[in-house]
Amino acid sequence: MHFTQDLELFPNCSVTLLLFKEVQNAAELRKKAMEGLINGALIKPTMIVDAFQVVVATNKAVHLQKLGKLKTRTLYSEIIFNLSPTNNISEAFKKIGISDGDSSVLIVLINEKDINVDRITSQVDGIQIHIDNLQTMADTSTIRKLFKITPQEEKIGTLLDAIVCRLSTKDVC
Amino acid sequence: MHKLRNNIMIHPPFDSNSASRRPDGVNGCRYSTGYYLQLIKQGAEARVYRGRFLGKAAIIKERFPKRYRHPTLDDKLTHRRTAQEVRSILRCRKAGISAPVVYFVDYTSNSIFLEEIEDSVTVRDYINSVLCSGENAEKLIDLANCIGQILSKMHNEDVIHGDLTTSNMLLRDSAKTGCQSLVLIDFGLSYISALPEDKGVDLYVLEKAFLSTHPNTEHVFEALLKSYTTSSKKSLPVIKKLNEVRLRGRKRSMVG
Repeated sequence: MHFTQDLELFPNCSVTLLLFKEVQNAAELRKKAMEGLINGALIKPTMIVDAFQVVVATNKAVHLQKLGKLKTRTLYSEIIFNLSPTNNISEAFKKIGISDGDSSVLIVLINEKDINVDRITSQVDGIQIHIDNLQTMADTSTIRKLFKITPQEEKIGTLLDAIVCRLSTKDVC
Repeated sequence: MHKLRNNIMIHPPFDSNSASRRPDGVNGCRYSTGYYLQLIKQGAEARVYRGRFLGKAAIIKERFPKRYRHPTLDDKLTHRRTAQEVRSILRCRKAGISAPVVYFVDYTSNSIFLEEIEDSVTVRDYINSVLCSGENAEKLIDLANCIGQILSKMHNEDVIHGDLTTSNMLLRDSAKTGCQSLVLIDFGLSYISALPEDKGVDLYVLEKAFLSTHPNTEHVFEALLKSYTTSSKKSLPVIKKLNEVRLRGRKRSMVG
C-alpha cells in the first residue's frame, strides 16, 4: 500500500510515502510534528499530484542536508519547503504542510524500517489507502493557481512536469 | 573542497557530496554504490550521461571543472552556465515551448538531471534521412514551418538559445508529425535578451549550421524564416538585423 523509492545518489537512503483518508486527528498530528515528535513530513495530499514530485523534493532535501546547507531547520521541514513554489518558509508550511482541519494526510518517511512505519501509522486516526489515490485527491485548480501554471505549459507536458520543473529550479528562477 | 598545490587551487574532479565516483572505462561512470551512468557524449564543455533517476529515464549533464581556466573564474562561469541553462528551460516551458523537464540540479558538481526524451531523433538525422531516401521535400517544409514558429515563440519570450543547430532539436515520437513533437535541447549558451541583434545572431547561427550540415536546403531554410516572420509581430526588426549580420564577417562588404 505504501510507496518506497530508493535515492540513487544517496546510498542506503529510501523514501517511504504513506497516504491516509478520513483523518480525525490532523490538529494533534500537526502539533506533534511541530514539536519534532514525528520523524516524518506531514503534507496536504490535495496539493500533491503524484508521488514523483515528493521524491524529487526529498532528493533535494537529502542532498542539501548532506552538504549542511538546509534552508529550514530539519530534513522534514525542508521537504515541505521544497514542495512549495516560493522561497517563503512559513507560506510553505501553510500551503503544503498539514493543517488542523485536514481530513487526509500524506506522510513522508526516510529510511524507516517496518517497525517504525507501524509506530507512525498507529498515531494516525484515519484509514490508510493506496498511494495511487493521490491523483484523484489532488485539488488541481488550487495547485494550478498556486504554482501559476500556464495553459500553454500543459499542452507540452503534464501538470506534474510543470510542477517538478519549478521545484527543481526554484533557487535560480 | 579545494586542495592547494604550489599555491594553485585544484578542484577535485568529482563531487564529494555523493558516493565516490570513478570513470568506468570509456562507457560510463560508476558510483561506489553501484549506481551506473552511461556516458553518451563528451564535449568540450560537459559530459552527458544517461541512467535511471528516481524511477525515470534521465539524462545527466555534468559540466566538469576546466583546469585550463583560473579556478575562481571557472567556478563562477560553470555555475552561471548551469543556472542559465536551467532558467531558460523553465522560461521556455512556461511559454509552451517543449524542452526537457529538469528533475534535479547539483550545484556542487554542476550536474543537471533532466528528463530523457525517449523515442526521438535529432532534426539533423531526420532531415538527412529524408534527403537520402529521396522522399518528398514537402515533409521538410512542414518541419521548417514548425521550427520557424517555435523559434519565433522563443524569441518572443526574449530567450536566446545561443547554440541553434539541427542537432539541438529533437523530434519526439518520430512517427508523428506536428509541431508538438519538436523539443529544444542544450540551453547551455542561452541567455535572456530583448535585442533584435541578439535574436538575429541566434538565427544566423542556425542558418550557418543548417546550410553547412544539410547542403542544398536553402529553400527549406527560407521556409523556416518565412514561418518565423509570419508568426510574430516582433520578427521584422529581427530579420532586418539578420540581413545586417549576414553582411558581416570575412570577405564581406565593408559598406556600413
